[in-house]
Amino acid sequence: MNEEFTPFLPLSPAALHILLSLAGEDRHGYGIMQEVARQSEGQYRLGPGTLYDNLQKLMTQGIVEEAASRNRNDDPRRKYYRLTRFGRALLTAEVERLDTVIREARIRLRAHPRRAT
Amino acid sequence: MIRVLYRVLLWLHPPAFRREFGGEMLWICDETSGSAAVWMLFADALVSLARQWVLRAGAWKLVVASAGGLLQITLGGLIFGLFHELHGARPFVHEPHTNSVDMLRLIYLAVGVAAGVVTSVLALTLWLRNFTRRRIHHDA
Repeated sequence: MNEEFTPFLPLSPAALHILLSLAGEDRHGYGIMQEVARQSEGQYRLGPGTLYDNLQKLMTQGIVEEAASRNRNDDPRRKYYRLTRFGRALLTAEVERLDTVIREARIRLRAHPRRAT
Repeated sequence: MIRVLYRVLLWLHPPAFRREFGGEMLWICDETSGSAAVWMLFADALVSLARQWVLRAGAWKLVVASAGGLLQITLGGLIFGLFHELHGARPFVHEPHTNSVDMLRLIYLAVGVAAGVVTSVLALTLWLRNFTRRRIHHDA
C-alpha cells in the first residue's frame, strides 16, 4: 500500500459510503444521502449533519472537492461534489485493504468452521 | 414549525460551517421533512452541533483548559493538606500574636501547587498525545 494513504486508512463507515457514492458520478448532498441508502439497501442512512461534517473534513483533506453545477435550473443552494484524483486513489486503496481482510476472513472461517459458530 | 426549529439548530452551528453548508442542509430538511423520520433529522442536527463546536471549532481546548485548571487547584490543595497531615501542622489561619508569615506553611503551599501543576501538565500531555494519535488514525 502507498504510504501517503496510511494516515487516512481505514476510512470511517460514513467516509467510505460517501466516497463510494461519488465514485460513479458527481452528486449533490441529498443525492449522496439517497445513493448511500440505496447502496446499503437502507441499512445505513446518513443525516445531513453527519454528511456535511464528513464532507467538510474530506474537502479539507483534499479527498473531495466541489464540482460545477450541472443544470442552470438547479436550486442555487445545491452544490455538487466529486472525488479528487487523490480521493479516487485513496478509495481504491481502501477497497483493496478491505478485499484483503475479507479474503483472510474467508480462509480462516473455512479452515475452522466449527470455531466460527 | 419544523423548518423554523431546524433553522435555529443551524444558526447555532459555527459560522464557517453554517455559511458553507447551512443552505444545503435547510434544503435537505425541506425535501425530507414530510417523511416520518423528522426526529432523526433533529437528532442528527444536534449531534452535528456538538461535533462542530467540540471537535472542529476547537472548543474542546477550552474544556480541557478548564479541567486542567480545576485539576491543578484540586491536586495542589490535596498535596498541601497531605503535607499538613504528615507534619502535624495546624490549620493555615491568621495568628494574632505573630506578625511574620509562617514560612514553612508557605513552602508547603508552594510545593503543593507546583506538584499539582506538574502532575496535571503530565496527565494532559499524555492524554493529548493519545487523543491526537487516535484522531489521525481514525478520523479519516
